[in-house]
Amino acid sequence: MTIMESSAPLLKLATKQKAFVAIVGMLVLMLFFDTNFYTTYNLLDMLNSTSILLILAFGVSLTVISAGCDLSIGGIMVVAGIIAIKLMDVMPMWGAILCALVFGAFVGFVNGFLVVQQKTEPFIITLGMGMLLTGVAQQLTDARPVPASNPDFMMIGNGDLFGMPYLVIIMLVCFALAHWLMRYTQYGRNLYAIGGDYEVALYSGIDVVRTKWIAFVISGVGAALAGVLLSSKLNTGSSIYGETAALIVNCGVVVGGTSFAGGIGGIPQSALGLLVFGILDNAMNMLGITSYIQILLKGAIIVGIIWMDCFYQKRKRELV
Amino acid sequence: MEKQTSECILSIKDVSKSFPGVKALQKVSFDVRRGSVHGLVGENGAGKSTLMKILSGVYQKDAASGTVIFDGETIEHTTPHESMQRGLAIIYQELNLVNTMSVGENIFLGRFKEMKGMRGTHTSARELLDRIDCKIDTHKLVSELSVSEKQMVEIAKALSFKSKLIIMDEPSSSLTAEELVELVKIIHQLKEQGISIIYISHKLDEIFDFCDVVTIMRDGQIIDTKAKVDLTRDEMITKMVGRSIENEYPERPQNVGVTLMEVLSLNTLKLHDVSFTLKKGEILGLVGLVGAGRTEIVRALFGADKTEGHQILINGSAVRIKNPNDAKHAGFGFVPEDRKLQGLVLPFSVEANISMASFEKFTKFGFISKSKESEIGIRQAKALAVKTPSTKTPVKNLSGGNQQKCIIGRWLENDPRIFIMDEPTRGIDVGAKYEIYVLMKAIAEKGGAVILISSELPEVLNMSNRVLTLFEGRITGEFNPQTASADQIMRAALGMTEGSVKP
Amino acid sequence: MKKNFSAIGQGLFRNYVLIAILALVAVTMLVEPNFMTFANLINIMRQFGPLVMVSLGMTFVIIGGFIDLSVAGTISLVAVVTVTLIDPIGQVPAILVGLAVGALCGYINSVLVLSSGALTQAEALFITFGMSTVYSAIALMYSGGSTKHMRFLKGDTSVIEALGQGSVGIFSVSFLVFLVCLAVLWVFQTQTRMGRAICLTGGNKTAAHLCGVPVSRSIIAIYTISGFMAAIGAIILFSRITTASPVIGAGYETNAILAVVVGGTTLKGGKGSVLRTVMGVLLVILMSNCLNLLGVTPYMQVVTKGAILVIAIWLDNRTQI
Repeated sequence: MTIMESSAPLLKLATKQKAFVAIVGMLVLMLFFDTNFYTTYNLLDMLNSTSILLILAFGVSLTVISAGCDLSIGGIMVVAGIIAIKLMDVMPMWGAILCALVFGAFVGFVNGFLVVQQKTEPFIITLGMGMLLTGVAQQLTDARPVPASNPDFMMIGNGDLFGMPYLVIIMLVCFALAHWLMRYTQYGRNLYAIGGDYEVALYSGIDVVRTKWIAFVISGVGAALAGVLLSSKLNTGSSIYGETAALIVNCGVVVGGTSFAGGIGGIPQSALGLLVFGILDNAMNMLGITSYIQILLKGAIIVGIIWMDCFYQKRKRELV
Repeated sequence: MEKQTSECILSIKDVSKSFPGVKALQKVSFDVRRGSVHGLVGENGAGKSTLMKILSGVYQKDAASGTVIFDGETIEHTTPHESMQRGLAIIYQELNLVNTMSVGENIFLGRFKEMKGMRGTHTSARELLDRIDCKIDTHKLVSELSVSEKQMVEIAKALSFKSKLIIMDEPSSSLTAEELVELVKIIHQLKEQGISIIYISHKLDEIFDFCDVVTIMRDGQIIDTKAKVDLTRDEMITKMVGRSIENEYPERPQNVGVTLMEVLSLNTLKLHDVSFTLKKGEILGLVGLVGAGRTEIVRALFGADKTEGHQILINGSAVRIKNPNDAKHAGFGFVPEDRKLQGLVLPFSVEANISMASFEKFTKFGFISKSKESEIGIRQAKALAVKTPSTKTPVKNLSGGNQQKCIIGRWLENDPRIFIMDEPTRGIDVGAKYEIYVLMKAIAEKGGAVILISSELPEVLNMSNRVLTLFEGRITGEFNPQTASADQIMRAALGMTEGSVKP
Repeated sequence: MKKNFSAIGQGLFRNYVLIAILALVAVTMLVEPNFMTFANLINIMRQFGPLVMVSLGMTFVIIGGFIDLSVAGTISLVAVVTVTLIDPIGQVPAILVGLAVGALCGYINSVLVLSSGALTQAEALFITFGMSTVYSAIALMYSGGSTKHMRFLKGDTSVIEALGQGSVGIFSVSFLVFLVCLAVLWVFQTQTRMGRAICLTGGNKTAAHLCGVPVSRSIIAIYTISGFMAAIGAIILFSRITTASPVIGAGYETNAILAVVVGGTTLKGGKGSVLRTVMGVLLVILMSNCLNLLGVTPYMQVVTKGAILVIAIWLDNRTQI
């Protein structure tokens, strides 16, 4: 047995359970350092910070499972947050939030049109859309954070219910909804079919265009929700966080086992994948790693993950 | 009229179908009686697939051309899904399943709600599989199944739609002998349940074994429909082939000489200890089922796949081939299986496509000479009679046959001594096919050799001097097609005998 | 019918963009007298330099069937490294090191893309985007997060200054550098074997491989060229303002891709032209300039560019079906 062959099962395990392995690895690593990592406060805080990214991931997962992707979520997120904050000056809070969500649905609708109806490559056109929206966000805020005027609003992102932050509760609700949708409804199973084999799904009478299109709309709404929650948490509407969010969320979904090829993965897997990044962020902070090195490490890890995914696909092809 | 409709599950009359430039079906008519196993035979290109795709709704027949009556209902326009719902199921050769999903979900694809969720899906799937004595776990992923198991799943799917007619398109092409026995058992079971079957195949044995009626097609037309008992093999073959064989293929190359190439111990994941020789001036045919390993052999020879441990000797001396470039310099040429995906750069000109394997001929010190490149393009296009407005036309505008000629011309420019052709006449009209056969012969006669892979048995048998049969990655026989029978060769390709009949 | 529309579509789009921008220019000329001033035209020429270099490099990557989102990071890194090295080792050596750094960044990208067996643009997109973060982070760490200034030593013939401000006759030095680069790259793309290999790789990688076309070398070439051209762009940029902020490269990748696509090179790869990209860069810069003069905020410009990018990609996709 050559080295390649004998390492294959290990490589396969590592790539299939990337997220799990990474999480266990980091948790074990943190045992060796004397930090506040293993405190209830920190663990809860970690979950809290990752909640927003997790909500993004649930929506994006739908598009990835159907063999697409959505890189515009960062842009949708920031614009939606800004819309909510600005509209809150002139209308009741819930109305403003609703408008933000409708905006997300609208952008998702346009994405769906371009990708599904017009059959454009999803990754680059949603990337372009994201860039466009980031510009819109900067335009709306003049690149300065816009403070919220409504004190109730801040409560959503920062308050808690018997010690459990609202954010985490909302995230868990979204998790349950998304998981139920993908695993227990016809819509979700159809998405898996479309991602697994577009033609077979088409010939089975599934309305592939509508199903995929809706996936983008849901992704947009999810991103808008995340944006509203982010604005609430920071109590301002800001244009900065959008750019890397899209990349991290899409990569996180892949880490968790939802491949860009489509048809595999799921909500729990995506959640695990995002948790990798959440724990990573937290651990790096705990270890006192400077922000530049954090950026470096995150970039390197993203490259590493995608590289491993590609390499695994390559080996699968070559083992013919 | 009335009597006929209740006796026949399917009644086709005067159905025609044309594609741009090609008449695929011309006034096709036949009836399928309820509860019968109706064989449909014909060579590749006879129109069987087209007809089936019209029935199943993938294609639409030409408007106002004939009628299709299924189960008493006249069908004008249909979709695959509607067709399934009416009770007409078709099991394609390429199998219509989602690899990433489970068996149960595949059977009820798109009907999750109807089945009341995952549990209902798997329970009902289990029932259906039990009906055909199939033991597969419904939770298993389709990607983990063998071809014969996948077929079972497709049959269960057809049953789930309460199908009255199941069309099977070349179902046995990837089955072992035992699996075929299983399939025949199921076909009989289905027949007992009152389900009609259209069995498309060009395995004459099977047709004679278990079909009740046989329809013979050729060149897009129905030649005859007869009960099996009224038909002889010879009659069937004659009607299938029609014209005399001499006009369809040129004579084989005559001067087969000494050994040109030896391949020793080729081992990959799929191939097991493959060794063979290639003689100068011959056309060597590789025969085997889909997935037997023919393409794997030639790709390994050509350096297209990463393989090691084997030896290649050309004219006695060892040759190391690690990539297509090495192969090129060792004198190989390669016409790949899928010309659109692997052979052509579609948006580029005919000229560019022809010249792309011969950079050394029109570049100097790294610079391209446009005039020399033009020469190459014009020379090959002329030599191969490629029909194109000019060599600067984008190659995607050419017909399949002419595109294939461009690829052949590309390699001819290098004067290869070992020319590998993988399905060279697939999807090409009869006239162009003959031209390619003539080219193959010319290459062999110039002192080179051709390795031919083709799924069309008549083609391989008529063009090759020698035939190697391959089954599950092993060479199972070596035959002289002039003396061995097609049956003998097919049996070896199906793994039924180990042996060789030396020329 | 549909085929006709698609072919016309791309042509129309290019023409629409051309017409729209010429219309914009015309309007600006009428409304804003400052447009036709010498100072403004110089301004246009100045912005042209860095962007056109990056875009030329990007053209090769796209023709080869891939994409390079790492140029932002590469530019920042090269600028910061060059400026910091001028003191210790002198201007010309520092420039050479900067160019080498750029080429190295590109080369590393190509190695990652090749070794992973990435086949699609999407995979390359993620890998290069990740590397952009890495290169930017290195730039940040190297410069300590602060903007570096160049120190002019007395009596020192400043190559940098010549590059930034000097001219030969009526042409600025940087314009001459651009012409040389354009000529070399055009010859490379259309007249050399390697250039043809790159086009074939982008056209159909599998077919090219089976014909013995050097696909791996082509991939290494396209990314290394992209990195190298980004480095030239960085140095020209830096020579103008003589300061290098570690985020100086931000946004260049979007503008470069926009310029390439607007110029008419298809994102699907295989076909394209450096000359068209030059046209695209000109259009993008003119557009920015006019919008600026007309008082449109920088953010709305970003929005406009984003919108044009989305529309360009959409139409590009339609034409190739």
